[in-house]
Amino acid sequence: MIGLILFIALMGFTLGRPRLTWPERFVNDAFGTAQGALYRPVGAVADFFRDLGRLSDVYKENEVLRRTVAKYTQDQIRFNSLDAENARLKEKLSFTERQKQFNNYRYMIAQVAGATSNPYENTIKINLGSRDGLKPQMAVTTEDGLVGLVSRVSNFTSTVTLVTSLDANTAKGMPVSATVQGRETESFGIIEYDEQTHTLLMTKIDENDPLQENDTVITSGYGGVFPKGIVIGTVKSKQVGDFGLTQTATITPAAKFDHLREVFVVVAPDVEGP
Amino acid sequence: MRINRVIICTLALLIVESAVVPWLVPSDWSERLLPHLSFIMTMFVAGFSGRHRAFLFGLGFGILSDMQYYGFLIGPYAFGMGLVGYLAGLISERRTFSLGFFMWLLMVAGVVLDTLVYFIYKLFSLTDLALGFVMYWQIAPTVLIQLLIALILYVPIRRWLVHPSLSSADESSD
Repeated sequence: MIGLILFIALMGFTLGRPRLTWPERFVNDAFGTAQGALYRPVGAVADFFRDLGRLSDVYKENEVLRRTVAKYTQDQIRFNSLDAENARLKEKLSFTERQKQFNNYRYMIAQVAGATSNPYENTIKINLGSRDGLKPQMAVTTEDGLVGLVSRVSNFTSTVTLVTSLDANTAKGMPVSATVQGRETESFGIIEYDEQTHTLLMTKIDENDPLQENDTVITSGYGGVFPKGIVIGTVKSKQVGDFGLTQTATITPAAKFDHLREVFVVVAPDVEGP
Repeated sequence: MRINRVIICTLALLIVESAVVPWLVPSDWSERLLPHLSFIMTMFVAGFSGRHRAFLFGLGFGILSDMQYYGFLIGPYAFGMGLVGYLAGLISERRTFSLGFFMWLLMVAGVVLDTLVYFIYKLFSLTDLALGFVMYWQIAPTVLIQLLIALILYVPIRRWLVHPSLSSADESSD
């Protein structure tokens, strides 16, 4: 009985606590190092066998990539001219240094050291920690799209909570505001994860929203947790929401959340400073 | 049991659990097959060395794995593995050890553990999945794969981790 009370107290105490104590940091770092040493080689071997199976698709993939590269070079030219013009206009309107740096994100590459075996805590462990400047609540992406956010940081490793635990019906919900690429000012919604169908849901969309199928959904940057412009997924279908006043869209996630090897931590410029 | 060797083995298994097992499970099944290797070791400790050791063993390794995957709570697996280890030790102390009975015990204990953890997360409203869905989706496949892993581990554990006197005494009683 005393044990039960103690455990309930421990669980309640650890619920929603932002910092780690030193024994936790020690355990995390010790295990993280060993896991990293094992996870990466095993991943390489597993990838090798998967690549063998995919050998026949390489030709087709190459074709597609070539076309994409051609498109990128065109976009690059356009982007450079727009960027230069944007900088010139900002200079004219006398933006402060902080405002100019606001969207200047830095991407830090991190190697995944381990994945969870606890079905209710969808976490992975990465080999960057507070020594590398990581802080809780930083966004984590792969080259495909948003994966999760940093939840616990110890000295050399940190724990990343995956997007798959964003469920608004539970206490762990954390709203991610989203918008549609190309129409950033017109669309708005909140992203949740549906554990039973394994898709993302975008809720609280306005009735008159021009959202369509196959639109690319990105983070909007409102709310301050996630930086702006990270791809979340594509719209699969759109329905009328629970009360008929708003709409709900089903979204296929862009990134996959298992067998991850490398992820990027998005470091926003320090907006706290003067 | 040679408890020091068992502890070292379980520490290694704990690392394997998070670093190697995710790669062996195919993509479609990665949310369904989540074997807890340290739990299997706890059950072996319960079977071979009694309830008190199993309790402490489950508690210790439960809290280690909880700390590693800490996203929201620390303690569900420590609590569950300690309790289930103690109960399994209590049951297996009343019978002579046999493989068939042990597998049976492991299966029931696996279901009890995962259900217990589910209810803890439900209590803190960290999940809103239905129990039936969790049973079918995650607990049943996980328990079956745990049985398979325990069968594979059984021979090496019996050979290297159980005291020769105890294991031969068991064999003579079989």
